[in-house]
Amino acid sequence: MNVYERKFEQVLKKVQKPARYIGNEFNSVHKENFEKFVKFAFCFPDVYEVGMSHLGMKILYHMMNERIDTVCERVFAPWVDMEEELRKADIPLLSLESHMPVSSFDIVGFTLQYEMSYSNILNMLDLANIPLKSKDRGENMPFVCAGGPCAYNGEPLADIVDFFILGEGEEVNNEIIDAFKEWKESGENRISYLERISRIEGVYVPSFYDVKYKDDGTIESVKPNRTGVPEKIKKRIVKELDNGYILDKMIVPFMDIVHDRITLEIFRGCIRGCRFCQAGYLYRPVREHSTDKLIETAQKLIDNTGYEEMSLSSLSTSDFTCLQELVDRLLEITVDKRINLSLPSLRVDNFSMELMEKVQTVKKSGLTFAPEAGTQRLRDVINKNVLEEDLLRTAGIAFGGGYNRIKLYFMIGLPTETMEDVEGIADLAEKVIDVFYQIPKEIRKGRSVTVTVSTSSFVPKPFTPFQWEPQNRIEDLVAKQKFLKERIKTRSISYNWHQSHVSFLEAVFAKGDRRLGNVLVEAQRLGCRFDGWDEHFDYEKWLDAFKKCGVDPEFYAYRKIDHSETLPWDHIDIGVSKQFLVKEHDKAYEEKTTPSCREKCSGCGATSFGGGVCFE
Amino acid sequence: MSKWRLKFSKLGMGKYISHLDLLRTFTRSIHRAEIPVRYSQGFNPHQLITFSLPLALGVTSETEFVDIDFEDTVSPDEILTRLNKNLPPDIKILKVSQPIFKAHDIVSAKYIIDIIAPRVILKEKIESFFEQENISATKKTKKGEKEINLRDFIKEVKVVSLEGNAFRLDALLSAGGEANIKPDIVVAKLQEYLNSSEFESVDIHRVEIFFENDKKIESFC
Repeated sequence: MNVYERKFEQVLKKVQKPARYIGNEFNSVHKENFEKFVKFAFCFPDVYEVGMSHLGMKILYHMMNERIDTVCERVFAPWVDMEEELRKADIPLLSLESHMPVSSFDIVGFTLQYEMSYSNILNMLDLANIPLKSKDRGENMPFVCAGGPCAYNGEPLADIVDFFILGEGEEVNNEIIDAFKEWKESGENRISYLERISRIEGVYVPSFYDVKYKDDGTIESVKPNRTGVPEKIKKRIVKELDNGYILDKMIVPFMDIVHDRITLEIFRGCIRGCRFCQAGYLYRPVREHSTDKLIETAQKLIDNTGYEEMSLSSLSTSDFTCLQELVDRLLEITVDKRINLSLPSLRVDNFSMELMEKVQTVKKSGLTFAPEAGTQRLRDVINKNVLEEDLLRTAGIAFGGGYNRIKLYFMIGLPTETMEDVEGIADLAEKVIDVFYQIPKEIRKGRSVTVTVSTSSFVPKPFTPFQWEPQNRIEDLVAKQKFLKERIKTRSISYNWHQSHVSFLEAVFAKGDRRLGNVLVEAQRLGCRFDGWDEHFDYEKWLDAFKKCGVDPEFYAYRKIDHSETLPWDHIDIGVSKQFLVKEHDKAYEEKTTPSCREKCSGCGATSFGGGVCFE
Repeated sequence: MSKWRLKFSKLGMGKYISHLDLLRTFTRSIHRAEIPVRYSQGFNPHQLITFSLPLALGVTSETEFVDIDFEDTVSPDEILTRLNKNLPPDIKILKVSQPIFKAHDIVSAKYIIDIIAPRVILKEKIESFFEQENISATKKTKKGEKEINLRDFIKEVKVVSLEGNAFRLDALLSAGGEANIKPDIVVAKLQEYLNSSEFESVDIHRVEIFFENDKKIESFC
């Protein structure tokens, strides 16, 4: 028991949901003799029940702990009540397993899943008594690293993070641990470790690059400031998923978490290329697990967790090549054990409905579809290949099969959008309602139908064909929301929308550069945290932080960027060429679609990885 | 006969596993252990698991009981070993036996309450709290809040002074369906009575559960 553990235990009496902080769940790894290992603190900058639902953390946690020389422990953002108690009792941020101070670890790694968690990263560092800025950390301090989707443009965190890991972590995490051991033995100084790992593909040390700006605030150049570091940093992938690390166990939490089930990852990447979708480009090329391997893994996960539900995970379940066979074989091993199988992200087609029927043995709840845009024209612009007739036909099958609730997801503020497109959302929802009433009363279930329309606001993201696009101004988004609300006349349709202020900040930090680092530091000081949670998001504080730092957020979100401009993330190579993105951007304005990777290769550049769908 | 009574302990940080979470933990441990278990009939079948006396959050215990309907094919020894391999470390099955007595007849539970106060408090002063005729307190019930005389729920208390600012209460408190009280209410009221600032630490541990059998009080098993 360390010095804080006793105090910590007493503090837990005063907070909500203490199970968030206790650790010791089944399959969690607790190693004795903490000091003798390379110590990696895996930090998720959100509360336990959100972080524990994240598959990447589960993979890297077990992978690192299988090393005999390494201990990986989890750290989550303490909820506001817990933060208050920790500060009051003068307890620093502790890891979940051995309740050791985060500052006593060698490497403190954050996963960047969404921009609105950045304030939590700074707050967690502050709670851990680790200096917020990389340059202020002394020789004996841990290294702070970050990975995950937002790390591809981690520039707003460039002053805070010592190094980024780009791409899938299975190989590169092992390499940075190996390098750590060698460096530790060498007795060299802190900077020498960063120099060593900057030679590992996929590692980006931002302090080794200088950014020069033009008078108009745009970037003049990003250049290495020493020899031996690459001009461009290329992301890492696992070429053959079946040969990579296979996650066959998962921590089983005590408390209810957001995704409290087995997650079976079936493939990475997406063949579709929707032009707004960052994940669709970041994770290229598509690589699948074999069905045999998946069945073997699924069986182990069932045996090792005791979960009563299993969900397939990928960006688009329907695109798995042997989905029918996989589902049939999974049902063989799940049905007898009363394990429910769920298939999220299915495409709108007959085949998907048949599959749904097959797996939905218990209750028929709602169905969710994501047409993303209200008119065919706009769907062509964004390359979302969903036809209205497909959607309506599928809705008809669903209603006939006993469903009476459908959710439809859309985006507003997409490039080229007109009010006609916004109105199209209401029209489409009404057509879905009509489909319900066309079905004979004897067949459909219930007397009425509910269609829920949700709109999120389009956020232009790096590494997408829309990276050069300005975001709609907050007032325009609000006007579109209001317009849509007025167009929806029937009470069978309910309408929800996202807060536009959050989407604005998301755009700022998604496309931001290093000058935002000071804003983050100031925002943390002003008390910003849990910005992804409505009840804690404080827009005024953020505006205050921008003002104090003399940074104009609109520069990042609202500016139409020229194709020739140097972008803050141009020195990062995700394998998809800028030239391809330019071509896709132009095609969007021509309202031309691009076929999926399996129909025809469009030459995005991801073949350079030498694997996956490019070589099927 | 397929219903077994499992005696188990819940120690360490395990005291912060809530009642509902504990139920889920047992369900999944049984799945992992692959012990055939009976399910309820109906639309949403669930395993037949009943805890004899729920334990308050934040309290450790060495005598908890849960009744589970297993299929006939498993022996009690097997249940014990297989389940212990599959439970998280803070929960441990101590004994598996056939349930003889009814949870319904539980009347009281014994707790050891270790307190470290911010200053030395005389034993007599603590005892005088328990000697009061009336200790009014508010008890949360399903229907809302209720005013009670806490004294009616305290069956026996022994105060033991320990080193420094520490003292211990051996407390027998009402428990079960008829009248049930959470030990932390007693601690909170005592702190209030002593006019003390917040106790530095409070550790509550349940040691025994009692039931009434033919007008005699016996240890529950």
